[in-house]
Amino acid sequence: MDSIWQNGIDRLNARREQVAAAGGADRIAKQHSSGKLTARERMEALFDDGTFVELNDQISSRCSDFGMDKKKKPGDGVVTGYGYIHGRVAFASSQDFTVGGGSLGEAQAKKICQAMDKAMVMKAPFISINDSGGARIEEGIDSLTGYADIFYRNTIASGVIPQISVIMGPCAGGACYSPAITDYIFMTDYAQMYITGPAVVKSVTGEEITSSALGGAAVHSAASGVAHFVYPDDLSCLNGVRQLLGYLPQSNADLSLEVPGTAVDNSAALADIVLADSKKAYDVRNVINSIVDAGSFFEVQEAFARNIVVGFARLDGETIGVIANQALYMAGSLEINASDKASRFIRFCDCFNIPLLTLVDVPAFLPGSQQEHGGIIRHGAKLLYAYSEATVPKVSLIMRKAYGGAYIAMNSKGTGADMVYAWPIAEIAVMGGSGAVSIIGKKAIEAAEDPAAKREELLNEYNEKFMNPYIAAEHGYVDEVILPEETRSKIAGAFQMLKSKDRELPYKKHGNIPL
Amino acid sequence: MSKYRITVDGKTYEMDVELIGANGAVVQPVAKAAPAVSATVAAPAASKPAVASSGSVTAPMPGTILKVLKADGDAVKAGDVVLILEAMKMENEITAPADGVIGSLSLTEGSTVAGGDLLFEVK
Repeated sequence: MDSIWQNGIDRLNARREQVAAAGGADRIAKQHSSGKLTARERMEALFDDGTFVELNDQISSRCSDFGMDKKKKPGDGVVTGYGYIHGRVAFASSQDFTVGGGSLGEAQAKKICQAMDKAMVMKAPFISINDSGGARIEEGIDSLTGYADIFYRNTIASGVIPQISVIMGPCAGGACYSPAITDYIFMTDYAQMYITGPAVVKSVTGEEITSSALGGAAVHSAASGVAHFVYPDDLSCLNGVRQLLGYLPQSNADLSLEVPGTAVDNSAALADIVLADSKKAYDVRNVINSIVDAGSFFEVQEAFARNIVVGFARLDGETIGVIANQALYMAGSLEINASDKASRFIRFCDCFNIPLLTLVDVPAFLPGSQQEHGGIIRHGAKLLYAYSEATVPKVSLIMRKAYGGAYIAMNSKGTGADMVYAWPIAEIAVMGGSGAVSIIGKKAIEAAEDPAAKREELLNEYNEKFMNPYIAAEHGYVDEVILPEETRSKIAGAFQMLKSKDRELPYKKHGNIPL
Repeated sequence: MSKYRITVDGKTYEMDVELIGANGAVVQPVAKAAPAVSATVAAPAASKPAVASSGSVTAPMPGTILKVLKADGDAVKAGDVVLILEAMKMENEITAPADGVIGSLSLTEGSTVAGGDLLFEVK
């Protein structure tokens, strides 16, 4: 080998070593001692063993202000590339906190954008792992524009490829908005997200708050609803991302991975889970688990708006999205957060060809000034809009209560449900008996010699006439009243029949969902 | 790899747990989740609603107290029913978010509460 080759090889090896060394042994040790993996270790954990391929490892900053040209930034604070998850290709970026605190400048953004662009061309999921101090201040507005380039791509890719954000350290300011635009946000217990941090909050408002109380995983999973999944550490979190992707298609032009499950039919247990006394609560997740393939239910936003349960499951091996009223919390009534949670989930499923199963037991939209002033009209409308707009197969089961506007909002026949089933104990009506009698029987009760007896008589008449599934079935709003033990086979049969469903919305740039 | 059984809200899950080296520098992840159905239950169960572990329990919605089952000073375990709030045509069980002792419980049967009102504390 001549010396020119040798010099060239040495130079490349030196550059590779520099990138591999990232922020140096000390900073890597610090990352490890705080319980975190490094950017590359996270990539290894995310992808199938040994499949990660790094891209653009030489991209680096052109900035020379404030002595930036003297500071080495191997990889410019991010690792990007592709690999395979369950054997299917996916692209990812992983910010490297050991290099310049993972701060995002022009070059880092360019690197991320190149990986995103490839994901779009290859129609493959994009996963963004965030662990960064924020914008690289030395790079000024080039850094801000870098964020904008990412937000723009997130938006254009929305509904085309699944986009998942994983927050594994700080994610502050503008950096929050890329995750917010993507489909799902995972957080570890070490992560924080906020638009303005505790120091600024204190100087502007005087409020003293810790970073985890302001924007930790507990806050975003339960209170704000920003995060969809929370895990204690990096490995379990990345494993969660892999699990989620196992339910999803590669893109909107693809179908989900089919995973043969154990098709156990537990429908016989349903009559014991859902109590006929509609004043009594039960955990609707037990209903879901009795219908879908054993152990396949993967709940989304478990801690937020617990009055509605949403998540992915498999039925005869195929992915479905499940939306269910949770009687255990707030009596399963619909309110602002539940409407937002369910609507976004429905729209995700519709984007990615995932059929919808809706389990209905809903007393009403929650009344009160808190809800009205908070805009329940605007938020509840999203649910109606999302169901009406969705063209994927839509199957409903009315288990118990289905009253009023909430009945209509929960994938009713009128808003485009393909198949609506009801159990014999279902009560499908404008409202519950006692409320209805107080209105329609007001005069008769007042005029009666024994108002209490009259009220009881009218209540019995109302309940007998309306609190059942048969008027809805007679009028064609329910396709079939079924026995509990028939539930799984009827639902699975409906989805099988609906496979050839071919329905398109009229041409439009996009609809105008109430936001 | 060890097997653990955990119970969350009365539901039992089985988890495979592997100890990570003390330096945390594990590159090889614990058994990567295949998209197999059996693997999918365990992990999300770990993400409990952490906010609920704070001491104060507030009314999730407006309603009437139907039953008060515990009193100030009673020791409770997480998940014990403390009172029943009748609202939205249902008897809603309000449970203790954590193990502890009940405090600030001044409600009686028939009291009405607004959404967000303090019901009791667990200390």
